[in-house]
Amino acid sequence: MLDFAEWLQATSVSVTIQSVGWVIPFLQSVHILMIGVVFVSILMISLRILGRMLMDEPFGRVWSRFAPWMWSGLVVMTLTGVLLVLGEPVRELMSLSFWIKMALLAVGIASVVVFGRSLEPAALTAGYGPEFSTATKSVAIAEVVLWLAIIFLGRAIAYDVEVWGSLSPALRG
Amino acid sequence: MDLASIVESIEASGLGEWMRGSVKAMPVVEAIHVMAIALVFGTILIVDLRLLGFPSTRRAFTRVSAELLGLTWAAFVVAAITGTLMFTANATTYFDNTPFRFKMLALLLAGVNMAVFELVTVRTVAQWDRDAPAPLAGRMAGAFSIVIWISVIFLGRWIGFTKGYDFEIPEDIDFDFGFLETGLRFLHAAL
Repeated sequence: MLDFAEWLQATSVSVTIQSVGWVIPFLQSVHILMIGVVFVSILMISLRILGRMLMDEPFGRVWSRFAPWMWSGLVVMTLTGVLLVLGEPVRELMSLSFWIKMALLAVGIASVVVFGRSLEPAALTAGYGPEFSTATKSVAIAEVVLWLAIIFLGRAIAYDVEVWGSLSPALRG
Repeated sequence: MDLASIVESIEASGLGEWMRGSVKAMPVVEAIHVMAIALVFGTILIVDLRLLGFPSTRRAFTRVSAELLGLTWAAFVVAAITGTLMFTANATTYFDNTPFRFKMLALLLAGVNMAVFELVTVRTVAQWDRDAPAPLAGRMAGAFSIVIWISVIFLGRWIGFTKGYDFEIPEDIDFDFGFLETGLRFLHAAL
């Protein structure tokens, strides 16, 4: 992995990102803005499922209000994230937090896709709808916790050795 | 006692010392800071966009804002506490840092923008509560708010790239969440 990261670091795309001082903080700032958009969209949908918010709106309207923001935010977040990896491949790819984050991200995105598909077109227009099942409510809570963990791990990439100690790939070199 | 010596005594405080000395404090506090910022920005954005006449226009402005206000303030308090903790660790460095000063200025502007909106514009809310977009004063408050909070986030990130570190991470660091260790070692071996 280190060989690959070092090869990536020497590519011209990576060198360009590294050599312009403002690019990385700019990408990180946009990445954080998008975390706000995506996380709060997921939180709003989850709180609606839990019956804690937006109860005067049918669930379908809440979903179609926030889902496009969530998906657009995820696209921008992925783009800035990929550029950040290209810019600092060794720092990212040699970090345990990064890999756990990627695994959780796969789970998070897959779960949202599955949930979106499971919504019957009828459910989207059916007014205020029945109360969600305990299982769906548990998934909503798990989803929020999952995305908080993803945010945590994202910030922890910068502190891999401090957070993971000898487990950090950075120490194994 | 001038401001600079107050800042020095903050850095010398037990809290500052603890933040610098603890291996895990800084990453944990920073991560919580990012979570809180995400909540503050995301929830404020919903209210600001409502003022500008974007989504959730079917709902009255006061309904949208009242529902989110508690969440925004709770997250802001968490962001302020974690931000203060980060400040104590390197108070003098932050105090001299230009992006940090601009960030504080931007937070002040956000407060002024909010105060003007709450004290003046909201007085007539009964007349425009259901309008989307809100009247000019409301649209301006919403637009300013979005620009200011984006600036706060950018400036916050810029602090990290300009301040430099004036303390060393202790050497004898290792993994100490014993109960997770076995599982994570397994995961690590798999990677």
